[in-house]
Amino acid sequence: MLIINSASAQSRYQIGLLPSINLNYKLENDWSLNSKIESRQLLRTGDFNGIAESKYTYVLTDFSMVTAKKVGLNSRVAGGYLIRVREEKLFHRFIQQYNVVQRLAVFRLAHRFASDQTFSLDEKPEFRLRYRIASEVPLNGESVDPKEFYFKFNNEYLNSWQDSDYDLEIRFVPLLGYNLKNNNKIEMGLDYRVNSFLNNNTRHSFWVNLNWFIEL
Amino acid sequence: MESRLKQNDVPSNALNFIDSLSLKNKVKWYLEEGIERKSIEAKFKRSGKKHSVEFDILGNIEDVEIEINWDVLQTPIKDSIKKHLQKDFKKHKIVKTQIQYTGNQMLLFIKLLSGEPTEDLTVKYEIIAKCRSEKSTGLFEYLFTNKGQFILASQILLKPSYHLEY
Repeated sequence: MLIINSASAQSRYQIGLLPSINLNYKLENDWSLNSKIESRQLLRTGDFNGIAESKYTYVLTDFSMVTAKKVGLNSRVAGGYLIRVREEKLFHRFIQQYNVVQRLAVFRLAHRFASDQTFSLDEKPEFRLRYRIASEVPLNGESVDPKEFYFKFNNEYLNSWQDSDYDLEIRFVPLLGYNLKNNNKIEMGLDYRVNSFLNNNTRHSFWVNLNWFIEL
Repeated sequence: MESRLKQNDVPSNALNFIDSLSLKNKVKWYLEEGIERKSIEAKFKRSGKKHSVEFDILGNIEDVEIEINWDVLQTPIKDSIKKHLQKDFKKHKIVKTQIQYTGNQMLLFIKLLSGEPTEDLTVKYEIIAKCRSEKSTGLFEYLFTNKGQFILASQILLKPSYHLEY
């Protein structure tokens, strides 16, 4: 009981917005390009003891470009680069990932195995290993057709190493999506992240997600 | 484009046809909208096998498809199908095999009810195969006669999955 009280005393939270635009280009011979812009804005921070501050704060913007090659009917290997702009500081991230999409009878499951390395002038390099499972469940019929809604749920586990520190972050992202056309989708939902719980300094993040996926 | 159809929206003769089979398992109804035509499909399981009965928009039966195991096909038929796929692609893997029956409504009804072969029905094989050429990999749907002779083939366009990958 003492341990729980002590843990909750350390728990902090942040609430904000996380909109993104995701552009995809299909190239020849099963190659494709993905570019993404994602911005983070904070609306409220606090701890669970009641101390809180509500204030709009722009936090950062990520720009990324990933190129991918289809290596099987349902799998793709990809590699890319992300630049993060945060308070006039730049962070450079290199990304490698492998995706497999399972097309089941009434829904799709996607597994993403990824690693990334982040470098900046002000911080020690950070290395991460991540696994994400994403499901898409059509809300009408057996597949998501144009002008139909779907439910998407992502669950991701991120292991990170920075200097001598290790941390585990877990994400749960339930989203409601609308397929305008097969090459144009909009999603809205909550991106919940919890980290630093291993060192008893838990941080909960609640981001309101608004994603726009376009295939050109 | 496929969407779920409520039982109330299914033409009465299609509904009566399926009801007469007295199925134990649940029947799911779908509206299939193509570029040129629409059709209605009833999907259900019977004796552990996936069945799909296709009707036109007025509820007239068009065909019955039953998922089967590739291994149950006779060797000469399998050889003929494999030979055709090998001619078209560098590598292939059969992922689904269906036997398709077309013909008279009563004969199709008897086929569904008894499960026994009916000589007067036209039999074709629908094969879904993962095919690899020099440059790309794709999913293809092939239709063959009951002797394994090629009728037609078309590529199945897979829905984009970028929103699940990035």
